[in-house]
Amino acid sequence: MDLVFFAQDCINGILMGLIYGLVALGLTLIFGVLKVINFAHGSFIMVGMFVAYWAVCLTGLHPYLALVIVIPAMFLFGYWTQKLLIRPIFIAERDVREPTTVIVVTTGMWYVLDNLALLVFGPDYRALAPNPLKGQMLSYGEIFISVPKLYGAIASVATAGALFWFLQKTRMGRAIRATSLDRGAASLMGIDQWKIFNIAMGIGTAIAGISGAVLTPFYNVYPSVGIPFDVKSFVIVVLGGLGSIWGALVGGVIVGLVESVGPNFMTSTWTEAIVYGLFLLVLFVKPSGLFGQKHDW
Amino acid sequence: MTQYELKRNCLAGLLVAAFALPLVISSPTYLHILIMLFLFAYMTTSWNLVGGFAGVLPLGHAVFVGIGAYTSTVLWLQYSISPWIGMIVGGLLAAVVGYLIGKPTLKMRGAYFALSTMAFVEGVRVMVENIDMLGPFKLNGPRGLNIPPLSADQSGFWAFQFSSKEPYYYIALIMLVLVLALTYYIANSKFGYYLKAGGEEPEAAQALGANIASYKVAANSLSAFLTALAGTFLAQMTLFIYPKSVLTLDMSFELAFIALIGGRGSIAGPVIGALLLRPVSEFSRVYFSDSLPGLHLIILGVVLIVVMLYQPRGLTEPLLRLFDRVTARFTAEGKEAEA
Repeated sequence: MDLVFFAQDCINGILMGLIYGLVALGLTLIFGVLKVINFAHGSFIMVGMFVAYWAVCLTGLHPYLALVIVIPAMFLFGYWTQKLLIRPIFIAERDVREPTTVIVVTTGMWYVLDNLALLVFGPDYRALAPNPLKGQMLSYGEIFISVPKLYGAIASVATAGALFWFLQKTRMGRAIRATSLDRGAASLMGIDQWKIFNIAMGIGTAIAGISGAVLTPFYNVYPSVGIPFDVKSFVIVVLGGLGSIWGALVGGVIVGLVESVGPNFMTSTWTEAIVYGLFLLVLFVKPSGLFGQKHDW
Repeated sequence: MTQYELKRNCLAGLLVAAFALPLVISSPTYLHILIMLFLFAYMTTSWNLVGGFAGVLPLGHAVFVGIGAYTSTVLWLQYSISPWIGMIVGGLLAAVVGYLIGKPTLKMRGAYFALSTMAFVEGVRVMVENIDMLGPFKLNGPRGLNIPPLSADQSGFWAFQFSSKEPYYYIALIMLVLVLALTYYIANSKFGYYLKAGGEEPEAAQALGANIASYKVAANSLSAFLTALAGTFLAQMTLFIYPKSVLTLDMSFELAFIALIGGRGSIAGPVIGALLLRPVSEFSRVYFSDSLPGLHLIILGVVLIVVMLYQPRGLTEPLLRLFDRVTARFTAEGKEAEA
C-alpha cells in the first residue's frame, strides 16, 4: 500500500476521530455526573445540527458563529430536560440499585425527538446552503486535509480543554466533581445536587450542540442523523472509560482510525462489525475502559 | 363467589372469547393485528423472564428472533425440513447463544448490560448483512431470504404455511397461552424466587447462598429459546426475512417497551402492555403513515415517558387495583366489607 494514502487515511481518521470524541464528550460528562446513559444523545446531536442549520440558513451567519445561538439554546434544552423528565425518575427510584427506568425515559425521548423532526422537517437530507467551508481543502504535497474537519478537530480539543479547565479550576466545576464522586457527601457539604445535575446535563447537551454545529458544514442534516452517532458514542465512551474527558477523545481517535484505515483491508461494512467487536471485547476485558476509574454505582 | 373464583372465571371467559374470536372476525387485517398482538405478547413474556424477573434490561432479544427466523428458513429452503423442526433447532441454537452471551454480560451492572446487548444486536446484524454463505448455509446478506408461497393443496400444518389467517391465529394464541402457563409455573417455583431475589437484592441473595449469576444465565437461555420460536413463526407468516426486519434494535426496544409499560416482572404485564401498545402502533401505521410519518413512534415515546414518570412499575398494578375495586361489589367478601 502506498505510504501517502496510508498517511492520508491516518490524518482523516484522527480528525474524524477527534470529532467523534467531541460527539461522545457530552455523553461521558452526563454519565460521569448523573450516572445515566443518555440514550437520546444522538437525538440531542440531531437537534443541535438542526438548530445550527436553521441559524445559518435564516440569518446567513458563518457556520461557526451559529454556536452563539446553539450553545445557549442547547444548554437550556438539557437543563429543562433534566429538571422536568429525569429528576422525577431519580426521586422515584432513589432506593433502586440499578436504575434502568432512566434509560427507558431517554429512549422515549429519542423516539419523540427523531420522529418529531421527521414530522416537522420531513425525511429530506439537507446540506448547508450558504456554506463558505464546503469542499475546502488544504494541500501539503499529495496530502489533502478537509478544512471543516480540521476546524472540527480543533473545536473538539478546545472544548475538551475548556471543560477540563472548568471542572478543575472553577467553584462550580469542583462542585460538579464532588457530586459525581459522592452525591450524599456533596449534599451534606451544602451542594444542591439537583442544581448540579441540571447544570451538568445542560453542559453535556450544549457540547452535543457544539458537535452538531461542527458537523453541519460537512455532514447532511436529517431526522435520523443521530442514530449512527448514538451507537458510536457508546462505543467511544466505553472504550475510553465512562466519565473520562480525555478517554472520550482517545476512544474517538481509535474508532476514527479503525474506520478510515480499515476499508483498505476489508469492506467498509466489516469495519463497522470490527468497531462493535472492539466494543464487546473492551466491555468483557476491562469494563472500566482505558481511562475510566473503577467505581461502584 | 370469592374474589379468587371471580378472577379465575374472568380468565377462563377471556380464554374462551379469544378462541372464539375468529368465528366473529373474518377480516384478514384485523386478524393480522390480533396475531401480531399475540406474537408480541408472547415475545415480551419470554423477554420478561430475564428483563422482568432478573431485573436487568436486555436490549438484544432481536438476535434470538433472528436466529429462530433464519434457522428454520434455511432448513426449509435448502433441506426441505419442516419449519416445526427448524423451530426447535433454532430455539436450541438461540439457547446456546443466549448462554454464551449471558455468561459474561449478566455479571455487568444495569447500564453496561443494556449497552453490551445493544452492541451485540448491531454487531450480529452487520455480520449477517455481510455474509452470503455461512459454510453450506445460504443467508443471502442484506437481500434476505424469500420463502416461496405454496399452493393451497401443498400448504398445511407440516409446511407451516396456511392460505388463511385463522391457523396462524390459533398457533399464536396457543403459543401465548403456553408461555403464560410456563411463566406462571416459573414465578411460583424455587427458580423464580431465586431470580426475583437476584433482581431485587443481589447482595442479600448471594449472602444467603443463592448463585444469582447462574440463575440469570439459565433464565437468559430459556428466554432465548422461547424468543427464537417466535422468530420462526414470524418468518413463516411474513414469508420474507432480511437482517433489517428481524435483527434490529427497533424490535429489541419494542419488546422492552411493551414489558415496561405493562409492568415488568408481573405475569399479566406483557399481555397488558401489548394490548395497550400494539393497537396504537398498528392503527397509526395504517391511518397516518402517509400523512404523518413517525406519528406512531411519537405517541409510543410520549406514552412511555408519561407512564414511566407516573407509574414507574407499569400499568398492571393500577389496572388490577381498579379491577378489584369494581369487582368487589359482585363478590361475597366485597359485600361483607361494604356492609
